[in-house]
Amino acid sequence: MAACPTGRPGRLQRHLLSGEFDQLRDFSIFESNFVQVTRLGEVANKVTMGVAASSPALELPDLLLLAGPTKENGRLQLFGLFPLQFVQLFVHDESRCQLKVKFRTGRAFYLQLRAPPETRDREFGQWVRLLYRLRFHSAQGAVPFTQEYSALEDGEEDEGPTEREEVAQGRPL
Amino acid sequence: MTYAYLFKYIIIGDTGVGKSCLLLQFTDKRFQPVHDLTIGVEFGARMVNIDGKQIKLQIWDTAGQESFRSITRSYYRGAAGALLVYDITRRETFNHLTSWLEDARQHSSSNMVIMLIGNKSDLESRRDVKREEGEAFAREHGLIFMETSAKTACNVEEAFINTAKEIYRKIQQGLFDVHNEANGIKIGPQQCISTSVGPSASQRNSRDVGSNSGCC
Repeated sequence: MAACPTGRPGRLQRHLLSGEFDQLRDFSIFESNFVQVTRLGEVANKVTMGVAASSPALELPDLLLLAGPTKENGRLQLFGLFPLQFVQLFVHDESRCQLKVKFRTGRAFYLQLRAPPETRDREFGQWVRLLYRLRFHSAQGAVPFTQEYSALEDGEEDEGPTEREEVAQGRPL
Repeated sequence: MTYAYLFKYIIIGDTGVGKSCLLLQFTDKRFQPVHDLTIGVEFGARMVNIDGKQIKLQIWDTAGQESFRSITRSYYRGAAGALLVYDITRRETFNHLTSWLEDARQHSSSNMVIMLIGNKSDLESRRDVKREEGEAFAREHGLIFMETSAKTACNVEEAFINTAKEIYRKIQQGLFDVHNEANGIKIGPQQCISTSVGPSASQRNSRDVGSNSGCC
């Protein structure tokens, strides 16, 4: 899989290459730009999400990175680094290119892909394939869809803490 | 914004002691009484001014839960400062300090400055660890010590800034090799490498170093 859906280093990759995060500098990141939306689709803030492998020896990524623009100057700022073993990613609404990110602690939020119309479907398709691979790898066997009718099928609601949708100003966390 | 140095900090300690609240109070000047468990690491950053030098603090707020402990260990590398936090109302969080300290010593540079923080000083009526005990632990292990309240903001600025002052002092004394990235210090973009001290043009728009208010 390309480091970035567009084939060029993305904003997050460039941010990490700028040198302030030595430990993360060599990560190859698969990333996209999103807007955080509410469950009903209202837009909140911009988010860049990426996945990376902490070691080149890993077959699949094991880390999720979230970043967004700072309030002060709009420059990208890394918000958090989360082991993927504690995060679940779902397709929330395929037609709107929306993903759902759910932490094992119960926090959840929705991200809508922000990409040019001509590449949006292809880019979203890459995320969907990644989600399937992560799900298959974690051996949960669940289909990564959460939209209305499938919410009960994916089995997420009956495990772990009660889900809480989070929409905060400036950052999704 | 340019800066003379970037210091990497890590905040460690048991779950629920107020690590994320301390970070939020320091970066956003607000208190959030209910905070989700941290998983992995969350980042914060702020500029401070030490001796006329702009210094960017890059803060790694880690998960305190035991189940995340092995992951947390991987974040110590390259930290110049650590805030080791316990809750003055929960004795067990104080009892676990030795274990946290062992991790910190084992997985970070020997020069790392460690600030021991007894948080929740606003809850005096529920105090379970005397201030003197915190002071004694810090003295015994060569740590700096402060009691703070992320809720009232008491000593929060001072805890972060005094740690930076100590790191800066070590740089000036030549104890920290600023060219060695493993020490958690980076020279800012377009900065001349000098150990001289004095006001710089970059101190404009900075937040001044606060003196210890002694509010707790």
